[in-house]
Amino acid sequence: MANQRTLPGKIVVVAFGALLVIALVGAYIIQKANKEHMALPVLGSVPKFTFTERSGEPFSEKDFIGKISVVDFIFTSCPGVCPVMADRMSHLYELYKDYPEVQFVSISVDPETDSLPVLRQYAIDHGVTDNRWLFLRGPVEKVAQVSEQGFKLAMGVLPAGHSSRFVLVDDKGQIRGYYSSDDDQSQLLLEHHIRAFLGAMKK
Amino acid sequence: MKRFRAWALATTAATYFLIFVGGFVRVSGAGLGCPDWPKCFDRWIPPTSVSQLPRTVDPSTFNVTLAWIEYINRLIGVSIGILIFITTILALKHARRIPRIIYPTVAALVLVGIEGWQGSQVVSSKLEPFIVTIHMVLAFLIVSCLLYATLQAHRLVSGQTAPAPPETQGLKRWLAPLWGLSIVAIGLGTQVRSDIETLVKQFPGEPALTLLGALGAVHVWHLILGGLIVITTVYIGMKILAQRGRISTLSAKSTWVLMGVALIQVAFGIVLVSLALPPMLQVFHLWFSSLYIGALLVLHFSLNHHEGINHG
Repeated sequence: MANQRTLPGKIVVVAFGALLVIALVGAYIIQKANKEHMALPVLGSVPKFTFTERSGEPFSEKDFIGKISVVDFIFTSCPGVCPVMADRMSHLYELYKDYPEVQFVSISVDPETDSLPVLRQYAIDHGVTDNRWLFLRGPVEKVAQVSEQGFKLAMGVLPAGHSSRFVLVDDKGQIRGYYSSDDDQSQLLLEHHIRAFLGAMKK
Repeated sequence: MKRFRAWALATTAATYFLIFVGGFVRVSGAGLGCPDWPKCFDRWIPPTSVSQLPRTVDPSTFNVTLAWIEYINRLIGVSIGILIFITTILALKHARRIPRIIYPTVAALVLVGIEGWQGSQVVSSKLEPFIVTIHMVLAFLIVSCLLYATLQAHRLVSGQTAPAPPETQGLKRWLAPLWGLSIVAIGLGTQVRSDIETLVKQFPGEPALTLLGALGAVHVWHLILGGLIVITTVYIGMKILAQRGRISTLSAKSTWVLMGVALIQVAFGIVLVSLALPPMLQVFHLWFSSLYIGALLVLHFSLNHHEGINHG
């Protein structure tokens, strides 16, 4: 009888012990997975350059410091892939509207057409109201060089030959990841990585 | 029949384990650990390092831990499918003329097939919350079918079929509404979870505790309904246990489990809210709700088919 009484007690203790062990192991695995997200390799540094922002202000590689940046190459009259890229960028711009630490940088590969007023209009057309999303204009040779040698994004015949990838740059100006703009999976990952870097910056 | 009961019971237990693993996949964010289906990064054995990735894949989409968590969920899923298949064969062999065993077993087999296919939809929908919830609901249905078949086999093995004393029959009527309410509470719970996910996306830098305050009515309803269920469960449980000596061991045990699980769910809920939703606790909270549903089923069954008086 006494034996029967203690049996449920034992089961409860063992069950709680098991739950505790499972909880710890599970938490460890989750943390390990999260760390792997954080352990994005440093793929390079942003190259030296100074371009002009749509406002007329200069923008150089130093403006990446202290911000998490998503960089892409576009031109405003682009009929093909750019509208998709711009939509994705707009989505991110909206998503992080309360986070001035996150900036978006679109560099024009067609400075001839994309004068500063054209870039300003383009920004307005995409609902950009502040300086979290910046539009840069620079000499086309320099833009190609920055793209190919700095951001390591291949350029074909400009302007249409620009890359459709997004580049994630951390708050130290280091390139941490490339994301294709035409893939949902890749975009989810980009959001995840931005979130991880934001969390790391706050600490 | 004893062999069938043993298999059915083992399969039920294994399915409960799979539900746990599935919950773990959800909270660890491993749902898209493998972006393709059924293969993982185009391999039957997931890659263990970036160098094994196919050339067409963006290496930044790869997280070895998440890929393996997701893939292990799929492997266990396939194993459970095989277990259910064997259980079905045993049912056809030993219980061909017993519809109460054949129907739920075959239903489980069909549902597990659907579940596998639906899992591919979960991946291709990029974890659309509604489709993920369907995945969970199907798992609950499968485990209920298996549990029901096990109980029926148990009834045949143990032999007694008389109903429990009349005092308990009135209480038994409460169990079906409780079942319905728990399903609603679980549904609301999954909604709370996806609301939090949306908020985390919207306010990526905010700590989870702040976001909890931003949760709307769904959260409150989940709390109210959960509280109501637990109070009712304990009230009915105590009344059933008051009949001790006149109800079967199985009835008494399942009542204890039911009440225990209900109270633990309250504790989990409180800790979840006060500790900013630790992921593992979310898994336990969900998993215990599946145990609660199971215990309800067992209790209802054992009050219907009384298998001998507990004189202990």
